Amino acid sequence: MGEDVYKVKVAKDLEDLIPTFLGNRHKEIDALRVALAAADFEQLRQLGHRMRGVGNSYGFERISVIGKHIEDGARGGDKAALAAQIADYSDYLSKVQITYE
Amino acid sequence: MSSFRVLVVDDDPDMAAFLAKIITAEGMVADAVYDGDSALLSVLTQAPDLVLLDVMLPGKSGFDICEHLKSDPATALIPVVLVTALEDHESRVRGIQAGADDFLSKPVNREELIARVKTLRRLHETRRELEERRLAAEVQRKEAIRKAFSRYVSPRLADTIIRDVGTDDAPFKAHAHRAEVVALFADLRGFTRITESIAVHNVVEMLNEFFSVLTEAAYHHEGTIFNMAGDSLLVGFNVPFPQPDAPARAWRTAVDMVSSFGPLSVAWRGRYGVETGVGIGICSGEAIIGNVGSPHFMSYTVIGNPVNTAARLVQMAQADEVLVAGAFYQSIRDLVPEARVQARGDIALRGMSEATAVYSIRL
Repeated sequence: MGEDVYKVKVAKDLEDLIPTFLGNRHKEIDALRVALAAADFEQLRQLGHRMRGVGNSYGFERISVIGKHIEDGARGGDKAALAAQIADYSDYLSKVQITYE
Repeated sequence: MSSFRVLVVDDDPDMAAFLAKIITAEGMVADAVYDGDSALLSVLTQAPDLVLLDVMLPGKSGFDICEHLKSDPATALIPVVLVTALEDHESRVRGIQAGADDFLSKPVNREELIARVKTLRRLHETRRELEERRLAAEVQRKEAIRKAFSRYVSPRLADTIIRDVGTDDAPFKAHAHRAEVVALFADLRGFTRITESIAVHNVVEMLNEFFSVLTEAAYHHEGTIFNMAGDSLLVGFNVPFPQPDAPARAWRTAVDMVSSFGPLSVAWRGRYGVETGVGIGICSGEAIIGNVGSPHFMSYTVIGNPVNTAARLVQMAQADEVLVAGAFYQSIRDLVPEARVQARGDIALRGMSEATAVYSIRL
């Protein structure tokens, strides 16, 4: 797995949006796992596409990067690679530490 | 400055919340919807000043929504920014074809978002300001035309000409037509003596005062002034607009002309030592109405028996006397105190083939 802690700086005025944002990201992992189990690559592509758009908008660059990998992986139908990305995403969310400024 | 309203359309609630947050922080108003149908409904309900539109929407895509907005004249000028993570060339071309005003890439950079929205806001507000100025200039121009026209026709007629110009309903129809009209001639009694004994510039001033009083009375009752010559004024009723109460209007105009002229006559007596009054002739009947003249000069004219008869009657009328033809009298007799009326019998008026029943009404 990755690093011990992922430090992210988020704009102060977005602070009140972050709990909902992170809650939705956890739901996203569940949705990704379900889609992978069903080999629903179109759903995986759409979820990856959404992650790519929203992640770095809030300052979570890694979410956008993982999202792009999932989007690309879904197009190739590579289940093993997708599983690795989803695991990476889950690990990231469990270790992310936010500071507001 | 009025509030600038941005409609955020994105099926990802987090993305919509983020965009709305940034917009609000910049002092603008943001509303968020999450699908295409809601976006169209929102625009229809309250048109925004700008739309931030996600491309990948469930149902109608952002391209479809953009195309829809840009094809409707009512919404075509609302700036649309397509917000998309699609980076391929085809998607950009598709967005341009849909009429998008700008693009914003996802992930969204806050500074870029603010800069683009502010630029479009400036453009939008400048365009709106120019449109407001254009409308104000248009109103000003119409008002100037109306004022100019109002010197020649009643204010209501001037308004109608400006409104209907170029339409088939224009009151000054190219072709002449027949209509029932009431013709009223008013004439200044004592004018010959005025021209002989008073300085020219004073005569002109007196005529201006005289016609001011008469035209005000005519316009007050929405008569149309057809002719002003020498010391005589021709006013028509029931033309060019139908006036079911045209005889009553003509009668009240005559009463107002005489009563309004009273104080002026007194003033002239004091200033110039002249005795004056208004004589009036009125007749109703069928006449021909139309534009007569050449391509260089045209006159809106009323021709026919009622005009000729009224002209003869006014020649006979004394100061403060209204001479009216029989048919017209019958249509206003309820309005006139009987004591003021004197039947003159059938009179053979000059140039008329048949005798005319004439009534004299003293005011």
